[in-house]
Amino acid sequence: MSVALKFEGYHRPGNVDQALEVLTEYGNNAQVIAGGTDILPQRPGGKNAGNGKHLVDIAHMGLDYIKEGKDGIHIGAAATINRIGAFPLFSSSPYLALSEAVACHSTQTIRNRATMGGNVCNASPCADLALPLLAFDVRLMVTGPGGNRQIPIQDFYMGTNLCALDSNEMLLEICIPFCEEKTGTAFLKLGRQQTAIDMALVNVATSLTMKGQCCNTVRIALGSVGPVPFRATTAEAILAGNRPDKETIHQAAKAAADASAPIDDIRATAAYRKKMVAILVRQALENSLRRYKS
Amino acid sequence: MKKIDITLTVNGEPHEMAVAPGERLVDVLRERLGLTGTKEGCGEGECGACTINMDGQAVLSCLMLAVQADGATILTIEGLQKGADLHPLQEAFISESAVQCGYCTPGMIMASDALIRNTPSPTQGMIRDALANNICRCTGYDRPVKAVLKAASHMKERTNG
Ligand SMILES: Cc1cc2nc3c(=O)[nH]c(=O)nc-3n(C[C@H](O)[C@H](O)[C@H](O)COP(=O)(O)OP(=O)(O)OC[C@H]3O[C@@H](n4cnc5c(N)ncnc54)[C@H](O)[C@@H]3O)c2cc1C
Ligand code: FES
Ligand code: FES
Repeated sequence: MSVALKFEGYHRPGNVDQALEVLTEYGNNAQVIAGGTDILPQRPGGKNAGNGKHLVDIAHMGLDYIKEGKDGIHIGAAATINRIGAFPLFSSSPYLALSEAVACHSTQTIRNRATMGGNVCNASPCADLALPLLAFDVRLMVTGPGGNRQIPIQDFYMGTNLCALDSNEMLLEICIPFCEEKTGTAFLKLGRQQTAIDMALVNVATSLTMKGQCCNTVRIALGSVGPVPFRATTAEAILAGNRPDKETIHQAAKAAADASAPIDDIRATAAYRKKMVAILVRQALENSLRRYKS
Repeated sequence: MKKIDITLTVNGEPHEMAVAPGERLVDVLRERLGLTGTKEGCGEGECGACTINMDGQAVLSCLMLAVQADGATILTIEGLQKGADLHPLQEAFISESAVQCGYCTPGMIMASDALIRNTPSPTQGMIRDALANNICRCTGYDRPVKAVLKAASHMKERTNG
């Protein structure tokens, strides 16, 4: 049965200025569309039912690049997840948290259309790519009528499906800083494992940078266990400056579970999710450590 | 509501049309062009029945607006057959009994076709990964995987011999 989605207009800006013009003209009635894989599955009364009436398609603005700059890897907002996953640098050891998250994100077919920018801007608590991006402490380059501004990803999430963008702003690119030497990272996702397209029950990413025998920088990102993906900073502080021995990792994993605030829903109970946070964080830290060593 | 003029090349034939902003690609293929080989199962990206090949990649036509496909080259199940000759994937799905009700089959074959175009000798694991978005309620997955392996090796033999 054919379905006519309720959009009143479709705009295809050829550059940033044109995009900002449309966003300014339609304000809250405008909505950026990248791959559309979050916007288009609309159920009546579902989370996307109140979508903007004027779509602004960013696929034709030259924003599909992935390139190395001086300070890191710059990923345009329209780059598809499969292309990002194929970027050679990301299969090297310090970036494995990202390639693991890409492999766990939906399926090949969806990743041929879905973007990293859409995954971030949709601000779902269980968005898979948000976690390595938190673990890499990325910066988001945003543009609006007042010019460009950079937002650290930690400050980007305001609530479930709510991000720090104003209605006349859009995400331009994501900048992943080059990993320091002696860094190991990992991503893990617990799904219900019925199908390949399960959303996470719990997902985590960790990043460890070592100095001598001790942890220097530690980042632990948790997903699906709070209104937004977030960093478990208390857990990070337990490891920072200390040797990552079994007991310290155990303490940090426990602190991460304490920091999580999951809910009961049809897919899992809050208590189960909390227990699994400790297990996934411990495993991800162990993987990060092993990778740093190898 | 303003309609938008788009051009699509579908199975080698160019088409021009004016579409509404909210018209999905699957509806344009099935209802405007009459290409009902492409199926709609869930309409939410979960079942893969609507898989087509767009600019060389497998994509879901229920999760795309027709306007997003403007200028694209599209291949649907109807475009695989050459005259009276079925495509090796179609042959193999029949000979391996990988088809029962057939509702998932066009999507399975289009996802496999995109895989083989990009990777002529896929491993079992690669085939399973490429078909992970395609749900079958009748046959299961072992037979389709066998069929894809068979078709891929046939196609290789043909190009080599
Ligand atoms: C069957 C299925 C399975 C899925 N599986 C997973 C999964 O395993 N893991 C997962 O994390 N997600 C999953 N998703 C969700 C979705 O695919 C991802 O979130 C995807 O990365 C979104 O990218 P997109 O380009 O399609 O976003 P779109 O749908 O185009 O946009 C998403 C949101 O972000 C906004 N937006 C997009 N780009 C910008 C920009 N540049 N500036 C400002 N706002 C912008 C849009 O307005 C919209 O609100 C799944 C979806 C489906 C349908
Ligand atoms: S109809 Fe498109 S994925 Fe089910
Ligand atoms: S053959 Fe019936 S759904 Fe696959």
